[in-house]
Amino acid sequence: MRFSLSPSSPASSPSLFPTARRRPAVPAALLCGVLLVSGCSSAASSSGSGQGGGEPVSGGELTFALASAPTCADPQQAGTNDTIYPARQLVDSLTDQDPETGEIVPWLAESWEVNEDATVYTFTLREGVTFSDGAPVDAEALRRNLDGIQELGPRAPLALSYLTGYQSTEVLDELTAEVTFERPNAQFLQATSTPALGLLSPATLEDDPADRCVTVVGSGPFTLEEYRLNSFVRQVRREDYAWGSSLWDEPEGPARLDRLTFEVIPESGVRTGGLSSQQVDAIGGVAPQDEATLEASGLTLERRANPGLPFSLFPQLERPIPADPRVRQAVSLAIDRQEVVDTVLSESYRPATSSLASTTDLYADQSDLLAHDPAAAEALLEEAGWEEGPDGIRERDGQPLHLDIVWGANFGPNQPSLELIQQQLREVGIDVTLRTVTIAEYNAVREEGDYDYAWSNTTRTDPDILRAAFSAELANLSRVDDPDLEALLNEQNASVDPEVRGPLVERLQRELLEKGYLVPVFELTTVLGLDGDVHDLDFEASSRLQFHDTWRG
Amino acid sequence: MGRYVARRLLQAVLVLWAAYTLSFAVLYLLPGDPVEIMAAGGGEVTEVTEEQLDAVRAEYGLDAPLAEQYLDRLGAALTGDLGTSVQTGERVSAMVAEQLPATLQLTCAGGALALLLGSAVALAGAHTRRPWLRQLLLSLPSVGASAPTFWVGLLLIQLVSFRWGLLPAIGDQGWRSLVLPALTLALPTSAVLAQVFAKSLRDALREPYVETALAKGASRARVTLRHAARNASLPAFTVFGVLVGNLLAGSVVVETVFSRTGVGRITATSVTVQDIPVVQGLVMLGAVAFVLANLLVDLVYPLLDPRVTTGGAVAR
Amino acid sequence: MTSETLERSPAAAWPSRARAALRAPGLVLSVVLLVLVGLAALAPGLLTGQDPLTGVPADKLLPPSLEHPFGTDQLGRDLLSRTVHGTAPTLRAALLAIAIGLVPGSLLGLLAGAAGGVVDDVLMRVADVLLAIPGLLLSLALITALGFGTTRVAVAVGAVSIAGFARVMRAQVLRVRESDYVEAAHASGTRWPGVLLRHVLPGAWGPVVVFAAVEFGTVVLAISSLSFLGYGAVPPEPEWGSLVAGGRDYLATSWWLTTLPGLTIALTVLAANRIARALDRGTGEAL
Repeated sequence: MRFSLSPSSPASSPSLFPTARRRPAVPAALLCGVLLVSGCSSAASSSGSGQGGGEPVSGGELTFALASAPTCADPQQAGTNDTIYPARQLVDSLTDQDPETGEIVPWLAESWEVNEDATVYTFTLREGVTFSDGAPVDAEALRRNLDGIQELGPRAPLALSYLTGYQSTEVLDELTAEVTFERPNAQFLQATSTPALGLLSPATLEDDPADRCVTVVGSGPFTLEEYRLNSFVRQVRREDYAWGSSLWDEPEGPARLDRLTFEVIPESGVRTGGLSSQQVDAIGGVAPQDEATLEASGLTLERRANPGLPFSLFPQLERPIPADPRVRQAVSLAIDRQEVVDTVLSESYRPATSSLASTTDLYADQSDLLAHDPAAAEALLEEAGWEEGPDGIRERDGQPLHLDIVWGANFGPNQPSLELIQQQLREVGIDVTLRTVTIAEYNAVREEGDYDYAWSNTTRTDPDILRAAFSAELANLSRVDDPDLEALLNEQNASVDPEVRGPLVERLQRELLEKGYLVPVFELTTVLGLDGDVHDLDFEASSRLQFHDTWRG
Repeated sequence: MGRYVARRLLQAVLVLWAAYTLSFAVLYLLPGDPVEIMAAGGGEVTEVTEEQLDAVRAEYGLDAPLAEQYLDRLGAALTGDLGTSVQTGERVSAMVAEQLPATLQLTCAGGALALLLGSAVALAGAHTRRPWLRQLLLSLPSVGASAPTFWVGLLLIQLVSFRWGLLPAIGDQGWRSLVLPALTLALPTSAVLAQVFAKSLRDALREPYVETALAKGASRARVTLRHAARNASLPAFTVFGVLVGNLLAGSVVVETVFSRTGVGRITATSVTVQDIPVVQGLVMLGAVAFVLANLLVDLVYPLLDPRVTTGGAVAR
Repeated sequence: MTSETLERSPAAAWPSRARAALRAPGLVLSVVLLVLVGLAALAPGLLTGQDPLTGVPADKLLPPSLEHPFGTDQLGRDLLSRTVHGTAPTLRAALLAIAIGLVPGSLLGLLAGAAGGVVDDVLMRVADVLLAIPGLLLSLALITALGFGTTRVAVAVGAVSIAGFARVMRAQVLRVRESDYVEAAHASGTRWPGVLLRHVLPGAWGPVVVFAAVEFGTVVLAISSLSFLGYGAVPPEPEWGSLVAGGRDYLATSWWLTTLPGLTIALTVLAANRIARALDRGTGEAL
């Protein structure tokens, strides 16, 4: 970067010797030459695959391009979706969740029982399952896994939040274990279907957490061959695998692909180009504007809306302006969700229709509460005393109606979406500043509370995500101080019966919107681009990926 | 000669120590808490207690007094231990070692291309007798030095890869995928080289021996290539260190634009997540590369030009 | 750099330089371009009537046309207007970076050159160390510590050039202090600070300014690179580097989003470098 137009000349004047001696750059050039050649020879094959019709075939390889680098190969320490995709393939979970019905079905656990107040869970494991290092998957392994997550602490952020109030696990016999919580924890059953609570070999649990990122051993259909930070994750199939989830095509057999490689290609344009030119077989994070181009060139797009909290604005209720419920309602009314989806996103995305995304369990459509009505927004602002100022920005007692929105870049279209929202709010007289922060800063900023609204989303199948997000004891994203809401949040986590829980969650979604505790805008959709010969790449209930059934042909 | 070498080596070590101290001062004295990164878990909703954060802080030695941290880390750095990444828990030295080959490939290819382009332009400029062509050739370097690297890379991807489909834009698939990134990286460096080389060529061509050679009937091309170019390459050689530094720094942008793996891309991601130990390791890598390159120049230069041994250091 | 040159009375050289300039069309073009850039920074309204921040979503991603000479972006905002309005933040950052390099750098160089001895040795060794770390890497380290934003990026880029300014200033001070008129002033009993202020500083200033002019191009490139990497401007503020960065996701479909703002950066740097070279030569000839 630093160079000048006429760099200072060396201490000596130009030489008078007509013959220069040996070229000094020769050793360097040799070194470079060797590297270049080795680079050529090591680079070779992209996978070739057999032709064929509709019958699944075994064998072949698949290269999947991720949008961001997996931070660790260990599913218990995984946070981002791109970390979870590869990590998921290495482990099995106690249960699986049907993406269609939301039903929890057997996987490693043949059966389970939950007591009345959702504090004691008893799991009976299936027989004959082993980790890939030979150790048995038994009740003792389960106990050590759940205890181990407590020790991992902040390195296992997701897993830890699923075990809120964890007391202990008791081994009843070789294949039966009893997990006890200090207080009701209804969401735990669904949590056992997530990779964050996938079971790891006791040997792995002994390792240093950092080492586990590169050496993790589980019982899943693929085993880790090599994990290289920022570069790739290579996995090979486990030949003796025979204990798959009851939801899969062939749960009693090994995966169909021989090998699975995840490459990291952060630039969305380069990723799309790589798929079109068949340098990779599948890509994640397809940019909305590239969807049409990809489909036009004969590639398959797979989409599924992520469950959990939609991308939303969370008010900081301790700040004076968002503390006023009329302003919060006005913000929601001023946002044209359909325009955001039409302009910045694509047909794959849905505008938010509730506090929860439509694929979340116990979701209830409440789109009547999320209408776009700028006139009503302006009326509410007038009512709250915000009069139109000279430059179109509303004022009250000489103070401008100004909102500071913080956001982090965890999803490509975040920036244009927020810029459009900024424009929409400007139309009803609200001035908005967008503040980008790093992921590192994001939590610190949220703790400090030096903002008016924060922008984020969360993927989770269970509606308990609302408690994780709004409970005063947990993240409390909006700094709600509302005993009624708190009671409701805890009540829904106290019952595993959908008949009881359903109406509670429905009321919760409605109350959050009515009180303006969040302003949902659109649902995140996972969009994959696949080469024409890639089949059966399955979405889990959480819209994350399962490669066991995937085949090429 | 022995004393000269010893002094150069000592100087190199001192510069590295000072660079370490400087980077420590910049990175550890200024605010920002790396532990938050782990707790952030990619921006998902999580719940982490202050005690758990303290435990991680203790694990990384981030709770000790600064002076103690500095001495501990310096001591470790001397044995090649640059600490562990806060984001991934991997050893920084291992990360760098893993990623270095890919970046060396890129920078070597870029350096070679820069040398070729730079000297070709300078030589052609010195050789031609058509004023307009000379003018054109000699203005090329300033154009090359003015174009932002990231923009050149994007233009090349757009035209060569997407529009014409000639070369891949992506990944580590052999020499074909190396062409575009190497060219992007080479452009600004070749501009510097061409400028330095053209200047010293101009000086060399004014020397009396050139006229002597011409008078003796040597062709103009022969004089330019055999006599002037050889002498002129000496001063150009002394900017070697700066060029190595430029290439390494340029790899940050080029690897990002082309989604290549390597130390440059780690640098960019580590800055984004404020992974302080990794950033410091990479800054030190840059300093080591620069110091080694200059050491090489300092040690080889006297062999080429014996007068230097008695004089001062080679500048820059 | 220009350590060999010295400018005694810059004003005297102006008329002849102006005449010489007319014979160099490239230089004239460069001046015109920079004047335009300056105008864009000071009075963007003169060059474009469109709103850089509010677009018409229905008009998104239109290719260049008479109505939108640079096309429109993903939110239907006029790209020419965004580029024009992006000039001010870009230039402000560049000037701030230069000031951050120039002021402490010159002071340190002045101190080193005037004091000599141990002070000089220590300061110059520190400068050597600063120069031993590739500029972009050092800027990145500073950004890691300081955080993101245009101002912080400018500080990070400016801090890197302190050593360069210190060296140029020191070289000039050493040269000027040997010259007759300074010795005469010294001999006539004027004390050092007075000599520095009245005689050394004015004499040394020229090459430092030329160095600043040369640094301008480098600094604009560095700032836009760092913005491109995502450490700079806050959206929706249009800054040149981040405009290019914002367009790269549309590379396959909308070429203008990256090409035209990038071209603006390249031409500006080219023009600035051309003028810096002319200044450099000017001071050389004035000797």
